[in-house]
Parts: sequence; structure tokens; C-alpha cells
Amino acid sequence: MHQEEKQNTGETDGLLYTYNRELFYHFDKEKGFSREIDYQVPANQTIIKQSWDAAEQRLDEVRSLIRAGKRSPIAYYMEKTLMEIPILADYMEMGKWRIRKHMKPKGFNKLKPEILEKYASIFGISVDALKNPEL
Amino acid sequence: MVKLEFEHRQAGHCENGVTSNLLNYHKFKISEPMVFGIGAGLFFSYLPFLKMQHAPTTSFRVWPGMVFDRTTKMLGIKKRVHRFREPRESMTKLNEVLEQGYPVGLQVGTYHLPFFPPEYRMHYNMHNLVVYGHDNGTYFVSDTLMERLVEISYDDLMRVRYAKGVFAPQGRMYYPIHVPDNIDIKPAIIKGIKKTAYNMSGIPFPLIGAKGIRYLAGRMRKWEKNLGPERAAYYLGQVLRMEEEVGTAGAGFRYIYGAFLEEASRVLKQDWLREMSVEMGENANQWRAFSYYGSRNCKKRGKPEQSYDFLADMLLDCADREEKIFKKLARIK
Repeated sequence: MHQEEKQNTGETDGLLYTYNRELFYHFDKEKGFSREIDYQVPANQTIIKQSWDAAEQRLDEVRSLIRAGKRSPIAYYMEKTLMEIPILADYMEMGKWRIRKHMKPKGFNKLKPEILEKYASIFGISVDALKNPEL
Repeated sequence: MVKLEFEHRQAGHCENGVTSNLLNYHKFKISEPMVFGIGAGLFFSYLPFLKMQHAPTTSFRVWPGMVFDRTTKMLGIKKRVHRFREPRESMTKLNEVLEQGYPVGLQVGTYHLPFFPPEYRMHYNMHNLVVYGHDNGTYFVSDTLMERLVEISYDDLMRVRYAKGVFAPQGRMYYPIHVPDNIDIKPAIIKGIKKTAYNMSGIPFPLIGAKGIRYLAGRMRKWEKNLGPERAAYYLGQVLRMEEEVGTAGAGFRYIYGAFLEEASRVLKQDWLREMSVEMGENANQWRAFSYYGSRNCKKRGKPEQSYDFLADMLLDCADREEKIFKKLARIK
């Protein structure tokens, strides 16, 4: 089945992943176990792409929430860097409830410069970019 | 400047590969499947209450670090493991150990790994690699996922060693320092198999081992109704990503384990283990078929191509096979 998957390369929308090969194991009743260095098969590329598509979709949702004035740029950059509240809270060394507060425009506008800088450095951007995200 | 003579060999899974390559450096030849089997790395758990990347966590292996710890312990190999509160201290220690002539295994997060394939850069903290030298702030890295040797800067390395989130590495570094002569691997193999057999068929808890696979199958039947087609596909995709993506060598480590059983039958001279390895190989093929059919539901939108009942039945088949295999393996002597 593995072989037939590989020939059928049309179905992955010409995706990703063509420069690093990985090691895979196979099993065949006659030949036993074997190892092969190869690219990810299309079926795997489909599921990898799915998670990136889902991330993109979440980002779109945040964009519209920001435009509607319901979320702050923190929410946008959190999704953009693929984080979730617990991870961001870990990086910020603060409680999750504070992050949730900062994700709303009201909480965000009250932030002190030090905290803004910390957010910016975690997202790898400038404070200016943090305040004015290019949605 | 230090650059040790380190042989880079790709592996199906990072921690096995790192362990096998580190021991290889100390002139102890051990294959990746052997490390995985002795370290009792195979596992299954489905944790619906622990969400990662917006979906329940499925795990096909034991906690990170356990394979290295167990393998070295079982074989009587002396090792050092460190964690540090202070990032700079962890880098100083790394340099020190390299200068003593030991290549070092590190646990890292993948999001900021510059040489990593971009498609894999998620907040995933259970990756392992070996640093085998440094020169003026550049570190030489052997990563078993990558075809070639790579490099990383001081700042980047420190950053990935202090990634945050679930299973944060906290600068964890580990390295064998002494491998005794004439190690007998036979008792270690038997212990490893017993441990895995217990984990997979003996733990009286519904979310773990073969029972866990059945539990997942039961939940899967309800996904489409309870979550809607889109989230159901995402949940399914999450299971498949844990099974097939980054470093399982396919089928959630079932192939590696089969290869281990085959090698074990040769070393222990027990022929029935070869039959077990064939059964494990067929089981792995069934898992791979599951991920092949499952992945069709993960394409963009639309109706699912395979019903979730069909997929759940495939899982039940895998659960039955594994339960049968591990109940037999539990009786190994």
C-alpha cells in the first residue's frame, strides 16, 4: 500500500517537504522489516497540512475579532506564533488569567511598557509592531 | 574549539537515535530498535482531558527521557543527567562536558530550531539531538531527523533548551560517561519486554495500553455527531499526527518494536519471538492502513470519505492484535 501511495503524488496540492528525507521502517511478510530513507508520503503531508490550515483559520478568526474590537494584538500574535494561553503564560511568567485579560483591548491598553516589551521579545517583534499589527 | 568524531546516523525516532548514537560513540554497538525495546519505549495512551494544539492528546510512546534512562540503567552504563535553572549555566556546563570529550544529548523545543523543516516547527518540547562540538559560539549538531549534520548558534541553542510549555526541557542534558566491558544484553531485553507487556496489557486503567486504543475507538464513533465534521477531522488528524508525523518511523513506533522483537529472537535464540515480530509487523501495517484511510478525512472540508465507524473498527482490530501479542510476551523467560 505504501508504494501505491507514493505514485499518487497529485493529491497533496503540491505541498511542502521536499528537501529533508527521514528514516522510515516498513514490514513485508516475505521480506521482513526494512528501513528506508525517504520523503514524507502524501498521506502524512495531508495531515501535516491540516494542522497548518487550522492554524491559519484560527488566525483569520482572531483578525475579525480584533477588527470588531473584541481582542487585542496579543491574541493575534499568540495565534501567529502558534501558541496557546498556557504556553504564553509560561513564557511571560504570569498567570493565565492575566494573559486572558491582556488579550482584550481594555486590558491591553493599560499595559505597562515593561510588559509590552516582554511580550514583544517573546513574539520576536518590536513594541511598535505589537501595538499596530498588520492584520 | 572542540569537534568530536561523531558518527551521524539517521533514526526513526529522535530519543532512540540519540541514545543509540551516543552509545555507539562509546564503542558500544546497539541498534535503534534494540534501544527502543530495552528502554520499553512503546506505549499507548489517549488523554481527552489534556489538550495539545486544540485537540486531545494521543501518545504512542512513554514520557520523554525514559528510553535513555531505562536503557542505560538496564545495561549498567554510567551516565550523567543535568537540568539547570539558569540558562547560561547550562551552556557553560555543555561546553565543559564537550571539552572533556563527551558528546551530549539535549532535550529541546522545536519551534525555534532554525535548521528544522519549517513544517515541523510547532511548540513541541520532546525533541532530542546530540551536540558533538562547538567553535566560537557555533555548536555542531547531529539531529537524527535530518539527513545531514547541522549547526546552531549559542543564542538559538539556549533558546530551544529553555522552550516553555508542556514537558519543558529546562535545559535537560544527558550523556553516558562509562560503558563497562562485556555487557550482557539478554536480561535487559527480557526486562524491557516484560515492562512493555505490562504497560500495554496489564495496567488496570481504561485510557492506557490496548484498553486505551479501544477507548479511543469508542470516542471516535461519536466525534462527527458531537463535534461536527470539521472538528472531527481535526481530532482525527491529531491522532494521526502523533502516530505518523515527526519521528515515529511510522505506525506509532510499531514497526520499530517489531524490528526489536526480531532482533531479540536472534539474540535470545527464542524462535517464538520471531513469530511475535511478524504479528507486530502486521499490526503495524494495520496502523499504517488506518492512517492512510484516516488522512482522507483530513483534506479540506467536505464530507468525510471514510466513516468514523470504519476507522474505529480498524482501531479495535489493532487493539485486539496488541492485546494478544503483549499477553503472550508477558510470559517471556
